[in-house]
Amino acid sequence: MPEVMPDLEREEKTDSKSEQEPGYLVICWNDPVNLMDYVTHVFQSVFAWQKQKAEFHMLQVHNQGKSVLIRESLEKAEHYVHQLQKYSLHATMERDE
Amino acid sequence: MRLLRVENDKYVFRLGKGERELLAIALSLYPAIPAAHQVISKSQAIANKTNQHLLDEALAEQRRENKKRVAAFLADAKRFHETETSTRVTLTGAEIEWLLQVLNDVHVGSWILLGSPDESSSELIPTDKNVQFIDAMELARWFQSDLLRAFSEKP
Repeated sequence: MPEVMPDLEREEKTDSKSEQEPGYLVICWNDPVNLMDYVTHVFQSVFAWQKQKAEFHMLQVHNQGKSVLIRESLEKAEHYVHQLQKYSLHATMERDE
Repeated sequence: MRLLRVENDKYVFRLGKGERELLAIALSLYPAIPAAHQVISKSQAIANKTNQHLLDEALAEQRRENKKRVAAFLADAKRFHETETSTRVTLTGAEIEWLLQVLNDVHVGSWILLGSPDESSSELIPTDKNVQFIDAMELARWFQSDLLRAFSEKP
């Protein structure tokens, strides 16, 4: 038992550290229903982006099927996905691998 | 729904004849997105780690609050000023932001209830079964466009 415990502790610490690192991508996926102006507006509201940047990501969603909006820690990525989904956008968070 | 003026974060709109009733119909369809439709991640590992149920709870709480707020909004007679030919309604920027969320739920939710088709609502062939959802989508989209235009026209 004593030999095993330190390994477990190290593993927990590593996992916790990885959650705080900006290793999670917030992705918005295309759908044929959301209005382009609405998507731009939501990006501006949620991320406080200038219109030009918000439009760039909206067009990326529209033309390429998805756009990586931001790279964040687990907690912050989760927060942004919640915000985007409150606006009914198709957004998820994925591990940056 | 046309923006007349903006003063100190007060947006004054003119609603044409019948538009107040149409806005009430659109808002009364909230919520339209089925509960537990939204997922936090496409990866099961992340979904487990981040507790999908936290997202479900947050969205359920939002639905409850919005439903109450919609009822209060529609019942607030002082907000709507009727004239012989139109209705005037005053909204703050935050209220427009909220209305956009509610209307988009009706828009997207109706699309989901239609089976998430690739075609736009104007291209779909109405039938007895789907016409209510097509109309709901069109109605929500109509008001969303007007509210978004008001934000972009803001001086």
